[in-house]
Amino acid sequence: MSLDVYYFTEMPYHYIDDELAEQWPSLRLTFPNSYFDPNKATDLFKRYLDEFQYAEEAGFQGLMINEHHNTPSCMDVEVNITGGILARLTSKAKILMLGNMLPTSDNPPRLAEEIAMLDVISGGRIVSGFVRGIGVESWANNTNPVYNRERFEECHDLIIKTWTTPGPFRWEGKHYQYRAVNPWMVPVQKPHPPAWVPGTGSPETVEWAVKHRYTYAAFLTEINRAKQLFGSYREQAAQQGWQAGPDKFAFMICAHVNETDEKAQESGKAFMWRMGHPLKGPREYWAPPGYFSQAGVAANAARRQKPMNEMSYEELQDNYHLVVGSPETVIKKLRHIKEELGIGSLLLEAQGGPLSHEDTMRSIKLMGEEVIPALQD
Amino acid sequence: MFLMRFTERAYTSYTEDAVRNSPNGAVRLTFSNSNFDPQIGARQYNEYLDEYEYCEEVGFDGLMLNEHHNTPTCLGATMNLEAAILARNTKKPKIVLMGNPLPTFENPLRVAEEIAEIDMISNGRVVSGFVRGTGVESLAANVNPLHNRERFEEAHDLIIKTWTTPGPFRWEGKHYHFRVVNPFQTPLQKPHPPVWIPGLGSPQTLVWAAERRYPYIYLETDPQGTQDMIDVYTEAARESGYEPGPENFGYLCRIHVQDTDEKAYESAKGFLTGNVGVGRVPMPKDYMLPVGYGGNRNDPKVAKYLGRIRKDPFLGLGLETATYDQILASNRWIVGSPETVVRKLRETLSVIRPGILGVWTNDGDTTHADTMRCLELMGQEVLPAIREIGAELELTDPFQKQAQAI
Amino acid sequence: MVAFTEEMVDVGGTKVHTLKGGSGEPLLLLHGAGGNNGWLKSVDALAEKYTVYYPSHPGYGKSERPDWLETIPDMACFYTWYLETLGLEGVRTIGFSMGGWIASEIAAMCGHSFSKLMLVGAAGVKPNNSEITDIFIISPAQVLDLMFHDPAQAPEYQAVYGKDPTPEEAMAAESNREMAVRLCWKPYMHDPRLTSLLKRVSIPARMVWGKNDRIVPVECGEIYQRTIKGSDLVVIDNCGHSPQVERPDDFIKTALEFLA
Repeated sequence: MSLDVYYFTEMPYHYIDDELAEQWPSLRLTFPNSYFDPNKATDLFKRYLDEFQYAEEAGFQGLMINEHHNTPSCMDVEVNITGGILARLTSKAKILMLGNMLPTSDNPPRLAEEIAMLDVISGGRIVSGFVRGIGVESWANNTNPVYNRERFEECHDLIIKTWTTPGPFRWEGKHYQYRAVNPWMVPVQKPHPPAWVPGTGSPETVEWAVKHRYTYAAFLTEINRAKQLFGSYREQAAQQGWQAGPDKFAFMICAHVNETDEKAQESGKAFMWRMGHPLKGPREYWAPPGYFSQAGVAANAARRQKPMNEMSYEELQDNYHLVVGSPETVIKKLRHIKEELGIGSLLLEAQGGPLSHEDTMRSIKLMGEEVIPALQD
Repeated sequence: MFLMRFTERAYTSYTEDAVRNSPNGAVRLTFSNSNFDPQIGARQYNEYLDEYEYCEEVGFDGLMLNEHHNTPTCLGATMNLEAAILARNTKKPKIVLMGNPLPTFENPLRVAEEIAEIDMISNGRVVSGFVRGTGVESLAANVNPLHNRERFEEAHDLIIKTWTTPGPFRWEGKHYHFRVVNPFQTPLQKPHPPVWIPGLGSPQTLVWAAERRYPYIYLETDPQGTQDMIDVYTEAARESGYEPGPENFGYLCRIHVQDTDEKAYESAKGFLTGNVGVGRVPMPKDYMLPVGYGGNRNDPKVAKYLGRIRKDPFLGLGLETATYDQILASNRWIVGSPETVVRKLRETLSVIRPGILGVWTNDGDTTHADTMRCLELMGQEVLPAIREIGAELELTDPFQKQAQAI
Repeated sequence: MVAFTEEMVDVGGTKVHTLKGGSGEPLLLLHGAGGNNGWLKSVDALAEKYTVYYPSHPGYGKSERPDWLETIPDMACFYTWYLETLGLEGVRTIGFSMGGWIASEIAAMCGHSFSKLMLVGAAGVKPNNSEITDIFIISPAQVLDLMFHDPAQAPEYQAVYGKDPTPEEAMAAESNREMAVRLCWKPYMHDPRLTSLLKRVSIPARMVWGKNDRIVPVECGEIYQRTIKGSDLVVIDNCGHSPQVERPDDFIKTALEFLA
């Protein structure tokens, strides 16, 4: 059974050391942007885009991008901007945007236009992920978190309608109102680009994904928990009279390959930056009052025994949040994931934190030459 | 002299009948997008990007983009996305955004973030224009046109503050409210990317731009009328304590060149199917200027401006009804062999004296091949000649002489 | 102590949990963003002279939340309905913090609802030279810390805030907080039109502020005082955001003097 492997990086601005980070409640939201040097960022953008282009060349079937606001951990603040660049610079790879934040969007027809434009420019290679955005995004955009899920669903419904119903039509909803929805840009893929949704455990999200038959992507989730979530998806699908194949399941982890296990263990330590301070912060930043439903709160409590930022390098590897090693070791571990979870797509964050350009490129090369082909049986 | 290339990236694969039979016979806003074929769009987008990338090779100083919504006349529905592509695929030319329609945005911080990101990806080549958007933009985004100017000014103030003041800070304005303004990414250019304001010469905007020393780009206005509008800017500039020069002014003009006058005459007909749409069907007034959009008609300056716009035979409805030969005879569109084009341009340049020239090379159904030839000739013959004229007339641009407020 | 009852007032199908006690003319108390703190010493003292109505706002505590109610002006509209349901008109009112904002909106939109208006540390107007603290972005413990100038001088501090909440109480507090977010998120804790509308208010009005209020700055009290004609501002020294809890004796004295 084939497996689509996606290359992913959050494009971190990693020039923030522990000593500085510890002086602030979090690296997100209120960490002053006076610590940002746009000259360094200019070089990083160039480098990260080079690496994306190389990942396609090396054999990744897809490229994944995401966005966050007010944080050095992710320099990409507009997934459709980088999506546009990749659409034009690459020719084969799928472009997975995971994704656009629907609740913080104030103009869903414009979002529909942007994604359609990318689909058109890329000749139909867009995979359109829709996300709720973590709490920080609600703060940064000043969008009332109480309405996060309502806005997510209404924004989604309006985007899908914009893509599939000839304009002009009117939309008088609860959160969005338009008098002439009629963007002159509709996607090449019909009825519309595949839609994915990421999850970290909310039962409502699984239910919603099943309802729309969207691919559900589990992010940095313990394998047993992911198994439960995917199981619940398959069960609900069966109840609704259809069978969920591997294409409905994706799994995201960090991964790093080097020539030998010893070398990989050494260079892979760079991922500890991304597992550290960027994951810390007050509860209010991550989950403002009203952001989670009561069910979501309960699911979160059950989700993980120990937060990732408190796990050691070894624990992260034991839990498959981070897979590091020689090609052989990594193949073995990724095959285990593939078999355990029955997934159709594997999303590898293969550049993280201060991992150097050289180490990143070598890792991409080894993945393309050895790891990805070995996962296709 | 700063030379930037422009096209509206039109889609023309629809019929005049389809427009006439659409709601209110309008080519914008309500002309159904079921007339759009994304397969054709896919080819066109990539050709348009090829053309812009080629402009770097032929020697343009800038690549000018704009955006419109719900219309086949401009495929650039989200200009920043095309700008990002050009930021990565070109090395030298400025990427001139003319401009982001500020009043239609509910979240100006996102615009600030996007432009900052593009500024970095381009290595500091963004010129960030801001516009109020046509009435159609207000209607498509469903933003109350009465608040257009207030929102334009407040969004502008917030974006500039976001770029220049270290975060986090709070913003409780009239139209915009943010509790944590602190996008981690700020632009590469300091204090911020240059701001240019394109427009048709609305006096309120002219004064506003002059007070901020933002260069003003006149969009195809008639050369004599443009002189009046330059006076409005100049007066406001003097009140602000400086003397404006060519570096404060730009002019956008349709200029199409081919090997011979005859060939150019034929291929420039694309202008007739471009931003006015196939069949040149006049747009309903309430679409372009919804109630409340146009400013206070009792203000004598505004009244004069509206009168001038109304009387200009080649703007708005005039452009839609005048014959091709009438338009060409007026020199409002400059079409011909390199020799003809340079001769006619000298006249326009010596009247308006702009430091920035927007060269609208092609539009509508002019073919990709004709466009590429036009660009090639521009590079070989026209641009060098314009530069000479610019030097002779001392048309300094904002990069030669600072027009910006520091 | 004055006896009080708990009743559910049915306002157009929405049940509003109301503490009611005392005797005399009616007095309406409107609580702040944190919720109804119950029958404290200050409430009891007011009930000696007046019939106190102390409802939990819709969406708070045991009161129901109608779906349409999303903003403070909605809330103000709702309370005019509440008063009508109870057959009340021209009542005295005291609004605390966010409740002060609700009271101001009512006074501005419906001249016959109130006969006297007292605002205590009231939100609702935007200060020019300071900021209303963003209580949603910090933890409840941090908010509590900012609320008091010196908790030691608040006789009921231990009783109200001193013990760890039960899981049910924690859930209820979270639910109250969610309602505050629903109502006050944006524009944050103020209504840009309010200062213009308050010029319409012609009933006696008094602002009471803790001098050391770190949630809603005294500047907001000054703005209210300047805007409502004939009103006065009483600033209590060595006192934070909740004079009724932190310095109940000073609060009761100024309140009774004003209401009389």
